[in-house]
Formats: sequence, C-alpha cells, structure tokens
Amino acid sequence: MTQEEEIIVIPGRWDLPFRHTAGRVASRFFHGLKAKRILALRCPRCQRVLMPPRPFCERCFQPLDDWVEVGQQGTLEAFTICYARFTGLPDPPYCLILVKLDGADSALQHLLGEVALEDVQSATQRIQIGMRLEALWREEREGGIKDIKYFRPVA
Amino acid sequence: MPRRVAIVGVGLTRTSSHRADVTYPELVYEAVSAALAQAALEPKDIDAVTYGSMDPFDGVFAPERWNVEACAGAGATNLPLMKITTGGTTGGSTALAGYYHVASGLFDVVLAVASQRVGETVEAQLVLNTAIDPIYERWLGGGAITIAALQAVRHFWRYGTTEQDLAHIAVKNHENAQRNPYAHLMRMLTVQDALQTRLISWPLRLSDCCPSSDGACAIIFASEEQAKRITDRPAWVIGAGQITDNYWVGDRPWYEDWDSLSLLARRVYRQAKIDDPLRDLDVAELYNAFSVQEIIEYEALGFCEKGKGGELIRKGVTTMEGQLPVCPSGGVLCTNPIGASGLIRVAEAALQVMGKAEGRQVPNVRKALAHAWGAAIGFHTLMLLSSDVP
Amino acid sequence: MSTRVAVVGIGQTAYRAAADHLYHEHDYEAARLALADAGLDRGDVDTVITSGWDAVDGRTISDMHTVMSAGGYLKDASHVGEDGIMALAYAYLRLAAGLFDVALVSGHGHAESSFETVSSIVFDPLFVRPLGESHLVSLALQASAYVQGYGISDEQVARVVVKNRRNGAANPSAHLRSAVTAEEVLASAPVCYPLRALHCPPQSVGGVALILGSEEAARRITSKPVWISGIGWAIDSYDLGSKDMTRLGSLAAAAERAYRMSGITDPLEQLDVAEVHDITAFHELMAYEALSLAPEGGAARLLEEGTTDRAGKLPVNSSGGVLCTNLYGAAGLVRAAEAALQLRGEAGPRQVAAPRRALAHGMSAPSGAAARSDCVVVLEGG
Repeated sequence: MTQEEEIIVIPGRWDLPFRHTAGRVASRFFHGLKAKRILALRCPRCQRVLMPPRPFCERCFQPLDDWVEVGQQGTLEAFTICYARFTGLPDPPYCLILVKLDGADSALQHLLGEVALEDVQSATQRIQIGMRLEALWREEREGGIKDIKYFRPVA
Repeated sequence: MPRRVAIVGVGLTRTSSHRADVTYPELVYEAVSAALAQAALEPKDIDAVTYGSMDPFDGVFAPERWNVEACAGAGATNLPLMKITTGGTTGGSTALAGYYHVASGLFDVVLAVASQRVGETVEAQLVLNTAIDPIYERWLGGGAITIAALQAVRHFWRYGTTEQDLAHIAVKNHENAQRNPYAHLMRMLTVQDALQTRLISWPLRLSDCCPSSDGACAIIFASEEQAKRITDRPAWVIGAGQITDNYWVGDRPWYEDWDSLSLLARRVYRQAKIDDPLRDLDVAELYNAFSVQEIIEYEALGFCEKGKGGELIRKGVTTMEGQLPVCPSGGVLCTNPIGASGLIRVAEAALQVMGKAEGRQVPNVRKALAHAWGAAIGFHTLMLLSSDVP
Repeated sequence: MSTRVAVVGIGQTAYRAAADHLYHEHDYEAARLALADAGLDRGDVDTVITSGWDAVDGRTISDMHTVMSAGGYLKDASHVGEDGIMALAYAYLRLAAGLFDVALVSGHGHAESSFETVSSIVFDPLFVRPLGESHLVSLALQASAYVQGYGISDEQVARVVVKNRRNGAANPSAHLRSAVTAEEVLASAPVCYPLRALHCPPQSVGGVALILGSEEAARRITSKPVWISGIGWAIDSYDLGSKDMTRLGSLAAAAERAYRMSGITDPLEQLDVAEVHDITAFHELMAYEALSLAPEGGAARLLEEGTTDRAGKLPVNSSGGVLCTNLYGAAGLVRAAEAALQLRGEAGPRQVAAPRRALAHGMSAPSGAAARSDCVVVLEGG
C-alpha cells in the first residue's frame, strides 16, 4: 500500500516534577560539604570507606553509621573530556573524573577544572591517571554535591 | 533438572533513526508477526508473553500497555504478560524471563518481545541522564558515553590499547552490518574514516558510539516437545544467567576489566560445559554499544587474556573470516534500539544456530553466545545456544 | 515435575505518608526484615527480583539501586516493571524451574511524584493522552460502568470503605488507622465521578520483601512454610472501548489459572481468607465477581451479608487492604505478605480464625483500567 500524504509527527514532552529527598546519609554528607568537610562512611564489616556515602554496604549488607572525614586531596583514577553538546548536559568541553580521595576506598565522580580542555592533545598530556587533585570549594555553599566547585591539579 | 528449552522463531524489524512510517504498536506487530511466521505458529499457540523496554526512551511509559495487542493479542485473550526492565540488559533479561517461563513447566510456548523507539526521543541523552543518581551525580553530565570513555581511558592506560584498535572494531562491525538488512547504520567505513570522525568524549569518536534506533524484536521459546514439533533445527538454550554489580562506578576495583562479566561467564560456561570459549563457540553477539567495550568483552569472556583484546581484532580473529566471528549483525555499534538490543543479540545468535541468518550467516554454527550489558556498566546477561539437544 | 515453592520469610516496614529515606532504602529495610524473619543472611540468597516503575521513582533503571538494596550484589537478579506481586511470580518461575533455591523479592512505595501525573504518560500520545486520561480517570470510567450496569447504590459501595477502614484501624502496620462511617464516605470530596476521596487509596511509602524457597530449602529454613499452591497472572485489553467495562477480565483469567493449579473449584468454600487489591472501593466489589466469589452483579450482596467481614465466612482485606495502605508498585506484594502472615497465625490483632488456605491478589496497572494486569496467588499453610 502506498500513500501520498505526509506522515504526521506529533510533538511530545515529559516534564514531570519530582522532589528527591537526599535521605539521612546524603543529607549529612551535604551538610559536611557546606562546612568544607568531606565525609564518608566506613563499613563495620569489610572496613572499606565508601564514597559517596550510602546507607548500607552492598557487599556486606550492613547498615553504615561510622562517619569518617576523608581528605580533600586525592588521586585521579579515570577521566574523559566531553566535546559533544547534548541537551540538558553542561556546555562542552568539560572533564568528568573519578577521583579516589585520600582515606576513601572508592572513587567519587566529579569534574576537573583549571586545565585547558579545548585542545585534546595538550589536555590529555596534562591530565594523567594517578595525578594528584584537590577540591576547590564554592564561596556560596548550599548543601549539595556542587558545593565542591571542581577538583584541580595540586600545584 | 530444568526442562529443556529452545528458541523456535525469531522476528526482527527494520531499524532506523525514526520509523516514522509506523506507530508503536505497528512496530511491535512487525516483529511479532515475523517471529510467528518463522515458527509457523498462530497467536493462539502463545501461552505467555515477556516484554522488555526501557520506558522513558519512547516518550510512552510502560509501552507494553499500549502495545499489548501487538503481542499476539495478549490483552484480548487475557494472556499472562510480564514486563522486564533492567537498563541496557533489558532485552537479555526479557529473553531470560521467557526461558524461565518455559523451564518452570508452567508454560510451553512463550513469546519474548522487546522494543524501543529511541527515535521518538528528541535527545536520548536527556533520558539517559535520568538514570544517573539525582542526589550525587546527575548534574555532572555523566551518561553511557562518559562511562564508556572512562573504561577506554583506563584500558589505554593499563594495557596500551589505542584509538586505532577501536577504529578496527568500528570498521569490522560496519562491514558486517552491510550484510544485515535489519541494521541501522549500513555505511562503508575505513580505519582512516573512523579516526577522522569527530571526538564525542575523549577518546571516543563518533564511529566508536552506537546510533539511537527505533526497532523491535520477538523471540519464541518452546518446551522440548513443542520445539521438536515446530522445527527441525531449534536453538537450544544450554546456559543462561544475569549478574548485577554495584551501581557506584567508583566502587569497582578495576572497571577496565569488567570482572562482573568474567564471573558471569564462568557461571554460564559451567552450565554449558564450555572449557575454551574461543575453541568451543562458533559465533558471538556481544553488546558493543561502544567500540572499546567489544575489546573488554573479548577479555572478560575469555576469548583472550586480559589486555589482549586489541590484538585479537588486529589479527582478525573476530571478523567474519576469523576463528570466532563476533557480531555478524554489526552489533549494537550499528543498531541500538536500547531495550531491544539485548534481545536482538539473542535473536541473531539463534538465527546463526538455526542456519537462518542469510547474508550474515557464519558457516556451520553449533554454539553461539549472546551478551548484553546495562545499567552503569554493572549488569550483564548471557545466553548460550546450541544446535544440539543439551 | 516443577518443584514446590514456599514463602519462608516476610518483611514489611512501617507504612506511612512520607519518608526521610531514599526510595531504595525501603527495599533494604524490608529485605533485612525478611532475612531476619527467615534466619538467613544475604549470602544464602541465590536470586533477587525487584519491582516498580522507574517513572514513578524518577529514576531510569531504578533497579541499579533496588537490586543492591535487596541483597543482589553480584547475584543473578532481575526487575519487573510491575507491581511487586509480579516479582513474586517471576521468582516462583525461577525456583519452579529448579535453577535456584532461595529467592528474595522486594517492592516499595515512594512518594516523590504524583502517580496520576506519571500514569498519564502510559497512555498513548496520539489518541488518548491528549484527552486527559489517567490511572484514576480510567478506573472511574470502569466504576461508573459497573454501578450503572448492575444498579449498585452509593451506600453499597460505601460499605466496602467502612469495612476496610475498620479493619485497618485494627492493623498496627497499616498506613491509615482510623475507621470511617458511610456518611463520611458519601460526603467526601468528589474526585472523579463516581469516585469520592474516601473511595480512593492513599499514597503510602514503605517496603515489603518476601523470601521464597524451593521445597528442599523451605523445609530447611522454616518450620512454618507457606506453600504457593496456585499462581496465575493475565493482562487485559488496552483499548477501553473494546472490552466489557463492567468486569475485570484479566483478574478472572488470572484466578482461573491459579484455581486450576491448586484444585479450587468453589473458592468461597475452599478459601479461608483473601487479600484483594482494592485500588478503589468499587474495584473490591468487581474483584469478588472476577474471583468467582459472587455472580456478576452480586458482589454488593455478598458484602451486605457480612461474608467478607473479618468475622465472616471469607474475610477479605482483614488488613484494611489498599484503601488503608497503598504502595504504588508494591501494594499487591503487600497482599501476599499479609495472606502469608494469616496462614502462619502471626497477623496479630487482624488475625482471622485458623485459616488454611489464603488468596492474595495484586494488580499491576500503571494505566488503571487500560491493559490492567492481575496476579492471583493461592497460599497454603504447612
């Protein structure tokens, strides 16, 4: 069957409001960030210090309550630099990282700042797995993950 | 001892960046009728349905509801239907659910359907973004591509894999896709072309990334008795399983190695009595949404040692002419209707075993493997199929 | 040939209106309670099935978290985009196949979004969504077809609410624990004709988990196994214009399968207690008919005779039902947990006298009456 009329395409949009509670664990973590402290939770059984802090250890299935402060410096575990523009994501280029903070046993996802990213060659020469990074705090902190503005190479 | 279960029919749809010629139920109908036709079955022969999709990509939530009649008239006849969603593994999980339906002894002929209309999403990344934890991570600009890029950066750093190796993967899959009428991307690609495509998220270029596709897939599972009645050459399920790793990417010891997939492979190879996968398997359909992942999967699945995946593709071991062709279909890298992609891997593996893969058929396939990964690279499914009754 | 399967552990959190939790912490709490109830730990579980709707939780691939909460780290887990009772159905299949011995299933209700808003996007964007369809709107359409079709009065429907709220008042774990009068029901705010506020359930938060065991595992784990002797599920048409709106076809089909499997021919005689998914008061009446407890149009009479009261011949929703506790995404699994507690004789103040066989019904209906699906489980005490 062939048909000459053009196919009609109806625009659609989901715009669903939510209110996401941070819960008791992330709330304490965020209050810590407000005060320029990075808190993690230690598992009483496997002793791993988990970052970001979560309500329970998936491996040991124990509730977590042993808060420890971890370092504001850490080691770069992995990175990528986004050069493509996607609706709803930050303007490119931006550098997304996994950083293992001193005293933590798992890595935190965050951003890398203060490295020129426009040229991939020079950026990837500058950014090396294993390099030392430190948190840079925002002046205005609201109790959220972005209270750390980004991580930057330790001078 | 579970019942023996086999795949007796497979249906695929044409795929493209937007199948504007059909509504959603029509797309699903296309897959289901093709599967019924291949098995020479009627809708009334179906005892139950499993349905997989990752809802938000379609702009319709729980689309199995709208599409219920396209699943062999499941609503009108009040069939049992079970909806499965597990991220990128959805299609693989939907196949597993279909398999367990029959293995349980409760059902004899079960239709597994998976679909996705990524093409109806104006920007798929917006949807992917909703999968990221909204408390800690959603603002970051993370998503499937960045996670794959992190894997690539680690693999380069640890094993010396290069951009050229990734390009070889892309070229092989694009070449294969040209022989697959159900593939989405069917263009010629050379290594040089691949290395000149634009950078998406370093070190991944456009040619390293899957497209967003509209497509659907249907598979019919049957009990031993029914399978033997329906077809001379069914694809017997000889191993099946899923593994679910931790959400937190930063909590994996070595994410360039995909240890969870290795663990699952050991479990499933044991069921299927596979000692040396490179020798014992004849074809593999891997979930290679990003080129680097195919390399990591070679290693995790034991096709080669850790760190040697790049060498495997450079030597041509996984091309159509090689010892173990991987993704004769062109894989997810060339066609990705997300929630359906895992089921398409099982369908392609089944077609190879049944000898019905047409232009992309690998000669004399007796054992085939189908894989999917999903979630924040934390989930995997595997299904192993054989031409021989287990 | 299939192995028998039993419920060997039950965990229910407190049910309430709002949470200070992450959505998946409900699953964690419930899973811990169920494991403790069964005397097991995470390592004893072979497979995990979680449940729920991503769009309701506001997280795509919500099971990335819920599977971990339910103890699924590095296990073979899956997720149903359905009410939790379908997670039970899936776990049943996995155990019946003889491939796993111990399964944990979980579900949660969370309230970070409006279920009505989310449900509107289940409807197709071409023909129905632009009209303002939703879960409750479609259920109201069905309710009105039912009461008009059989001449059911407002007072008769109100009795369902009075019964369930009275039962809920005696259930320490119910979310709403206050009785209401028929007058209050009839005077409550109109929501969507013929539904009034008190005909509709609350939106509750909390988690529920069950542990299932194969026959061998069940006997090892507990002295009080609750056997699944029958199970069936079915889906209905999506198009409201092409089905009989006065009956619940998918529930009737699910019940028929479950009854056949467990050898039930006269459910009113052979069942001792039932928990049904009373998504509205009207739908409890319709459920009686689909479950063959009453002839079509005869449900109100069964109710008026007191048959389904807590002290009646077949108590229905002695827990207070969904009208008192409604986890969107797990209210059906709560029905199974409550039915199992009754068979164990551990239902506390809501315990009915010495039941031997119980029915649990859950519905999975993100789009209300459209392509609604139902699951019926018949449970028997050890």
